[in-house]
Amino acid sequence: MSGAFTKSMARNIFYGGTVFFFLLFLALSFDTHSQLPKRDMRQNITPQIAEGKKLWETNDCVGCHTLMGEGAYFAPELGNVVARYGDEGVKAFIKARPKEGIPGRRSMPQFNFTDAQLDALVAFLKHVNSVNDANWPPNIQG
Amino acid sequence: MTDTSLALDPAEMPSARRLPGDLAIWVFILAEMLAFAVFFASYAFARSKDVEMFNFYQQTLDRNAGAFNTLLLVTGSWFVVLAVQAAHRDDSRAAARRIGLGFLCGAGFLTVKVFEYAAKFGAGISLSTNTFYMFYISLTFFHFMHVILGMVILAILWVKTRQGAYGSRDAHGLESGAAYWHMVDLLWIVLFPLVYVMR
Amino acid sequence: MQYKSQAVAKPYFIAAIGLFVAQILFGLILGLQYVIGDFLFPHIPFNVARMVHTNALIVWLLMGFMGGAYYMIPEEAETELFSPKLALAMFWIFLVAAALTVAGYLLVPYSTLAAMTGNDILETMGREFLEQPLITKVGIVIVALAFLFNISMTVLKGKKTSISLVLLLGLWGLAVFFLFSFYNPVNVVLDKFFWWWTVHLWVEGVWELILGAFLAFVLIKTTGVDREVIEKWLYVIVTLTLITGIIGTGHHYYWIGTPEYWQWWGSIFSALEPIPFFAMTVFAFNMVNRRRREHPNKAAVLWALGTGVMAFLGAGIWGFLHTLAPVNYYTHGTQITAAHGHMAFYGAYVMVNLTIISYAMPILRGRAANSNKSQVMEMWSFWLMTIAIVFITLFLTAAGILQVWLQRASDTPLPFMVAQDKIALFYWMREWTGVVFLIGLLVYVASFFVGGREEKAA
Repeated sequence: MSGAFTKSMARNIFYGGTVFFFLLFLALSFDTHSQLPKRDMRQNITPQIAEGKKLWETNDCVGCHTLMGEGAYFAPELGNVVARYGDEGVKAFIKARPKEGIPGRRSMPQFNFTDAQLDALVAFLKHVNSVNDANWPPNIQG
Repeated sequence: MTDTSLALDPAEMPSARRLPGDLAIWVFILAEMLAFAVFFASYAFARSKDVEMFNFYQQTLDRNAGAFNTLLLVTGSWFVVLAVQAAHRDDSRAAARRIGLGFLCGAGFLTVKVFEYAAKFGAGISLSTNTFYMFYISLTFFHFMHVILGMVILAILWVKTRQGAYGSRDAHGLESGAAYWHMVDLLWIVLFPLVYVMR
Repeated sequence: MQYKSQAVAKPYFIAAIGLFVAQILFGLILGLQYVIGDFLFPHIPFNVARMVHTNALIVWLLMGFMGGAYYMIPEEAETELFSPKLALAMFWIFLVAAALTVAGYLLVPYSTLAAMTGNDILETMGREFLEQPLITKVGIVIVALAFLFNISMTVLKGKKTSISLVLLLGLWGLAVFFLFSFYNPVNVVLDKFFWWWTVHLWVEGVWELILGAFLAFVLIKTTGVDREVIEKWLYVIVTLTLITGIIGTGHHYYWIGTPEYWQWWGSIFSALEPIPFFAMTVFAFNMVNRRRREHPNKAAVLWALGTGVMAFLGAGIWGFLHTLAPVNYYTHGTQITAAHGHMAFYGAYVMVNLTIISYAMPILRGRAANSNKSQVMEMWSFWLMTIAIVFITLFLTAAGILQVWLQRASDTPLPFMVAQDKIALFYWMREWTGVVFLIGLLVYVASFFVGGREEKAA
């Protein structure tokens, strides 16, 4: 066994291989960044969309829903929800949530959003829907 | 495991059973070749779905540059073989010189490749242009980085060989590095026909 | 125990197990909410319970990593810890911060918590797994840096073994990649892109170095196999882990607005990710088969072998199931993901923590191993929890396949909630299996309190 398999060689390969693949990952990430402006619709981001994203975050929507498939799997995908129900449908749904829930059923909490907040949320969700995400989800149900 | 097998020095083992270089580098080489193999298989799979498109864009590649690069890498590999042989004869000076020549072949490969890339990128081609170019750039760039890593290894080997680190008693590290360099060569010998030539 | 300062590991381990229990209790609440939607509503909505479930998991795994490192590093470096006082101070800071954060989740609405804790200064909250308030995040960084300083100094003044180096690299990587949790651009695609630099590069990158180092340490101690042999295989395995796992990040970049070449890069490299896990399993069994001594702590060896097998199944096989882009197009964001997540976290990180705790705790309590009676109980808990997680995973996989079928692949796709109602049976089975898991966990906790004739001090 002596000599044919040494720890120093294994260690050098570990360091070399790690640096190598990390650099490769950085190179791909760099290319991704040059391509993203064509896909992420950043030119359309308004203060209202930013406000909507903040509302999305500060109410932990991702704790039940998915957005582009990421999040929790307790409630429907929202990346395409504006396409599914329309702007007004989404707002009406959020507004109509009963405070004490629905007996025996899953229910979204009543967040008491103002109309301006609802507009911001919908603007954010519309923006997400406009991102070129390789045609995901497979259908309107998300 | 018995004590006798432990006491056996690798150099004393029957030559047919001896693996040149370190087992660790062979695990790494196998892992790398597997990654390339899956990549090649993916290429074949994607190509089979749209042969015409692949064939069309394949014609835009610079086959002469690719063929010249094949020649460079094979020559580089040959120099490295000669270097290992020289080290086994305890001729460190000759070994170092040949490693240096192998390194230059690698540098030549990179130079040719940089010109090839410059032409393609200059024409606005990127990873996102189409599936063929995605594979062309991914595979060749992945390999390109392997050539760089191989040259880094050769540079280290060159320094250590000049210091007389390898000889007939122990050329273990040199053999390991050489094995990696041959892998880089071998991968190109598969990659070049697959992406540039085969229709 | 060889070094006095190793004792600081003990509170970390105890707190880790305590948080583990909390995590499972909230897991059961979540499981029940899947089938009885208004359970505890509106007092503990699903998203709040889920934050407690996932955050408690992360914190207890980190506690275990820290405790494990504090135990291991003095023994590896053959010197006392640089500062046991700092280690203890950090323990209390970490524990109190974790408790306050959980209290914050449970007592005030999340948006109020965000406003109270300075989210307006730097918006970092409300992203999956990184829900912690800004001050908690800053606290984690401070605790992590103090911890890293402490163990790095210990290694610097002592012997530098390969296991220490791999562990240190993993822990430093953990701290560095956590910094991406402070970056939350308005551009949702960029947000998601770098979110994975924390989440993926943790669990499929640097955490695996920690896992490998812990496993190697316990195997050296329990099998008596030559350190040289174990350390070189450790290097080979972590190399395989990183060369597949780093580019493997690409399997998260299929459908979030990132360029489509990631579908190829991600599929190819993540398809290779099972290999290092398989190597780890083979490695663990090989070392145990080649053992040169019979360590009295049979339970620790069982956990170590279990880590290899379950990490391979959960992270390797269940990861591979849905990692190829054409498959993932349909399974992305379904119960398939949940199935994989549960078994992978249990198999890799829960089990490796229980391995190190199982090995170190008896020694910290002044004996080489627990009494036979206690070990038998611990092994019962091993089988109860492991079999429970296998069935949880199977039920969630069944639920996921049906969900994909009804909601994604069908010609007449059903709405989300309609599909959910149709697969409720599997959620019920998952919940009952979860109860078995809790029983296993309680047996585990009880095993610490069982007496009997103990093995003499090591």
